[in-house]
Amino acid sequence: MAPSNSLPTDLDVLVIGTGAGGAPLLARLAQAGLKVAALEAGVRHPPEGIATDEVAQLGLFWTDERLSAGNDPVGFGRNNSGRGVGGSTLHYTAYTPRAQPDDLKLRTEFGQGEDWPLEFSELEPYYDELEYFLGVSGPADYPWGPQRRRAYRHPPLPLNGAARLMQKACAEIGMRTSPAANAALSRPQEQEGYGTRHTCTNRGFCQAGCSIGAKASMDVTFLALAEAHGAQIVDGAQVTALTMRDGRVTGAEFMRGQELEHLSAKTVILAAGAVETPRLLLMNGLANSSGQVGRNFMAHVGMQVWGQVEDDLRPYKGIPGGLISEDTHRVPGLIGGYLLQSLGVMPVTYATQYARGTLKWGPELIQHLGGYNHVAGINVLGECLPYEHNYLELSDELDGRGLPKPRIHFSFGENEKKMNAHAEALMRDLWGRIGARDVWALPRAAHTLGTARMGADPETSVVNPFGRTHDIENLWICDNSTFTSSLSVNPALTQMALSLRTADALIGELKN
Amino acid sequence: MTTNEREAVLAMLNSAHVTEPTRRALLERLDARHGREFFDEAEFGRLRALAVRLVPHDPAEMDLTGTVDHRLIVGIGDGWRYADALPDGEAYRELLASLPEGFETLDGDAQDAVIPAVQSSHSHTFEDLLAELTEAFMAHPLTQYRFGYAGFADAPEWPHVGPNELEPREVAYGPQ
Repeated sequence: MAPSNSLPTDLDVLVIGTGAGGAPLLARLAQAGLKVAALEAGVRHPPEGIATDEVAQLGLFWTDERLSAGNDPVGFGRNNSGRGVGGSTLHYTAYTPRAQPDDLKLRTEFGQGEDWPLEFSELEPYYDELEYFLGVSGPADYPWGPQRRRAYRHPPLPLNGAARLMQKACAEIGMRTSPAANAALSRPQEQEGYGTRHTCTNRGFCQAGCSIGAKASMDVTFLALAEAHGAQIVDGAQVTALTMRDGRVTGAEFMRGQELEHLSAKTVILAAGAVETPRLLLMNGLANSSGQVGRNFMAHVGMQVWGQVEDDLRPYKGIPGGLISEDTHRVPGLIGGYLLQSLGVMPVTYATQYARGTLKWGPELIQHLGGYNHVAGINVLGECLPYEHNYLELSDELDGRGLPKPRIHFSFGENEKKMNAHAEALMRDLWGRIGARDVWALPRAAHTLGTARMGADPETSVVNPFGRTHDIENLWICDNSTFTSSLSVNPALTQMALSLRTADALIGELKN
Repeated sequence: MTTNEREAVLAMLNSAHVTEPTRRALLERLDARHGREFFDEAEFGRLRALAVRLVPHDPAEMDLTGTVDHRLIVGIGDGWRYADALPDGEAYRELLASLPEGFETLDGDAQDAVIPAVQSSHSHTFEDLLAELTEAFMAHPLTQYRFGYAGFADAPEWPHVGPNELEPREVAYGPQ
C-alpha cells in the first residue's frame, strides 16, 4: 500500500468529505472498480483512542468559527458539525429511523414546503441494504411507516432510565412507543475491511465517539470497505478551492499543514456538509446559476425537556435515544410533524445546555448540576420548512487560512413556533406524569440542511434528482445540503441512502 | 481538595475501569494550572472574582479562570459565535470592563448585586462566559467525584442500564 502522504493520480472520482454523504459512495465506487480518493479536513480517530470525556473529544468537531445570526441563531461545533475521517457520524447517536413516504411530499399534502424529486420506493431498497450492512438494532415490528421487507438485523438495545420513564408516561396517555432503530450493535458483527465490531457496552457517550466500534460510524463501516477495495483517504486535507477548465471541474486544491496541494480527477463529488459545501461553491462562484446556493438553510425543530426524578438514572448509560414514538408524525394544525425520543445525556453537555438555557448561576446552578445522576430527558425532532429568510452567506471576516467565515441566518417561522409550543406542552405533560421536578425546556435546532437543494428544475435548485449539479456536468454534491425538505426524522440514514443512489447513477453513467 | 478526595479520585482513575485515553485526559486535568497569558493582571483578577460568583468554586482547587485564559491563547473555540458579538477574547474584555470599579474587592453579596446589570447589557457574552466556566467546572475530576459521577469508569461495560441498577463502583464513588 502506498504511504498515506503520497497522493493518488489518474483518479476517476475525487470525493470531498467522508461523512454520511461521502463515505457510502466512496465504497460503492471503489467496489465498482473505479479509482477513487477522498479528501478529509479532519484526521483519523480510531476507536481505541477515544476517551470517555467530552472535553478530550473536542477534536471530533468542526471548531472553525461560524457566525450565527437571525432570531434563533444556530449553535454549530458540538451541536451538529463533525470533523474527522467519518465526518459527523463520529459523533452521531446512530439514530436511524427511515423517512416516511409522506415526508417526501409535503407540498402535495399541505400546499407548503417542498416535494422531493424522487419517490419513497426509490429509497426503500437502499434503506433495507443499509440497515443490514450497518447492523441496525431495532424492534421486530416497527409500528410506523410501510411494512419492511425484513426485520432489523439485530434485536433492540436495552432501554435506559429515560427510555423507561418515557415508555411509562406515554402509555398513560395512549401514545404508542417502540424501542428505536439505532445503528449500534446489540450483537457482534463482522465488517469487511475492519474486522469484528463488538456489541455495544452501554457506554452512553456516542456523541463523543464510540470507543469499541459498536456504533456504525463511517470509519468502521463504509470507509473500511472503501479502503479494502482500493480507495485512498487523504486526511488532514482542508479543501480551499475547486479548480476549473472549460466549464468542467478538474480537481481540488487543499491545504495539508502549511502545504498547498492539488488533486486532479475526472469527476468531483462535494460531500462537505450543508455549511462547507455552499461556502466552497460561493467562494469559487460555482454551480449557482439558480442563485440557490446557500439558500433554504433548515435545522430541525429540536425542543428538549429535562427533569430530575427520585430514581438514580445515571443518564450516561445506555444508547441515548433508546425509545421513539412517531405518533406525532402528523398533528392537526401543523405542516408536517415530529418524532419523540427519550434522551440520555453526557454531563458536560447537560451542564452547558442548562447554563445557556436557564442562565442560572451561583449556588442555584451548582445545586441543580449536583443532581445530574437523576436527570431524564425527552426531545422531539420535527419538520423545518425552507424559508427565504434562512440562508448562508460569506462574511467579511476571515478565518486562519484567509478564507471568509460563513454567516448563517436562522429564524423559526410560524410553523416551527407552533410545533415547538405543541411539543413542549406534550413533553411537560409526560414529564409531569413521571413526577419530574425542576422541569425545564430548551428550544433548539438540530442538524444542518438544505443549502444546495435537489430538484428537477435548474431555475430553483442546485443539483438534479441524482445529485449532479445543474451547471457543471462533472461536479456532483452528496451531503445534507441537497435535502429538498428537512424530513421529520434524523437525516443520517436517508443521507446514506442518497449516497448509494448517487453512486449507482454515476456508475451507470460511467459505464455507458 | 481533601487528601481523602484526592485519593479516591486517583484510585478510580488508576483502576482498570478507566481506559487509557480517558485516564490520561482526567489525570492531566486534575492538576492543571494555566496561570495568566491572555488577560492582563487586572482583567484576570476580575475574571476570577466573577467566575467564583457565577460558578462557585475554590480557585486553589480548580483553575477555571486559567482554563478560559488558556483556551483564548490556544485559539480553539466551540465552532461558532453570535454574529453580533465580538470575538470571544475581546467580548470577555469588554464585559469585564463594564463591571464597576473595584468589583473584585467587593464582598460576595455586593458582587452578586451588580451581576444582573452586566448580564442584561452583555447578554450573549454573559451566556458564553457562563457556559465556558460551567464546562470547565463540570469536566473537572473533583466536581465529578463530589457529584458522584462515575460515567468515565466505563470499562469493560455497563451491564445494566435501568433506574437504580448501579454497579458497585458507581455506588462507592463520591461522598458517602
